[in-house]
Amino acid sequence: MSELEALRVRDEVLQAMYWMSSEGLAERPAAAELAGFLAVPAQTLGPFLVRFVEEGYLEQEGERFGLTSKGIELGKRSFADEFADLTRPTHGECDEDCWCHSSPEEAARCLEDRAHVH
Amino acid sequence: MSTEPAPALPKNFLRPCLLLLLREEPAHGYDLLERVQSLGFNGSDPGGLYRALRALEKDKLVRSVWEPSENGPDRRIYEITRSGMEELHRNAKAIAAGQESVASFLSRYEEFVALPRSGDRSQRDAASAR
Repeated sequence: MSELEALRVRDEVLQAMYWMSSEGLAERPAAAELAGFLAVPAQTLGPFLVRFVEEGYLEQEGERFGLTSKGIELGKRSFADEFADLTRPTHGECDEDCWCHSSPEEAARCLEDRAHVH
Repeated sequence: MSTEPAPALPKNFLRPCLLLLLREEPAHGYDLLERVQSLGFNGSDPGGLYRALRALEKDKLVRSVWEPSENGPDRRIYEITRSGMEELHRNAKAIAAGQESVASFLSRYEEFVALPRSGDRSQRDAASAR
């Protein structure tokens, strides 16, 4: 595995594990569960998980993996960083088919939203 | 709960469904996992939901922020963007157009064979339970 690939997979795994944990879905998923969650083959993910344990991001208990405090910190931070540019409001041009034309109330809401954007 | 659509639902139906749920109100992943069941998804596939939300966010159709929690880790709360509302509207129009074609197909097929309706099934289930 290349270093770049390891970094990309690390961010993806830590983000997914943090999300699973915060939503109360799984604190310590098995490798197969995690692979299913990310839709990647378990045999592909396995060596990465071993590496992330060695690097101190994950801890292993039998077949299950949990985030260490270092993993929690990076998982949360990288999730926020990845979408930092996407969390701003979008421009908001609408066309003739926009839902805001369906009623005066919707149009008012549309205008209000645009006022917040600009 | 699986985010796999029931057989008769369009392949990418989860996307407009998530946009619709977020148009109704901002939500956490787990809320969406529960509420999407009312739109025909059943079983358990939180990974499918997670990937769909990430794809929607990358496409700028939803955005999310961390919501602090007193009892556990902070949770991601998702909301629809202006582009998401427009995409939802485009999807809804396409679904409405498709619905007319499907209704026409079923009407013509039922000239030959009557098909059970979902209401028929619940009546049959209630009758067999008695």
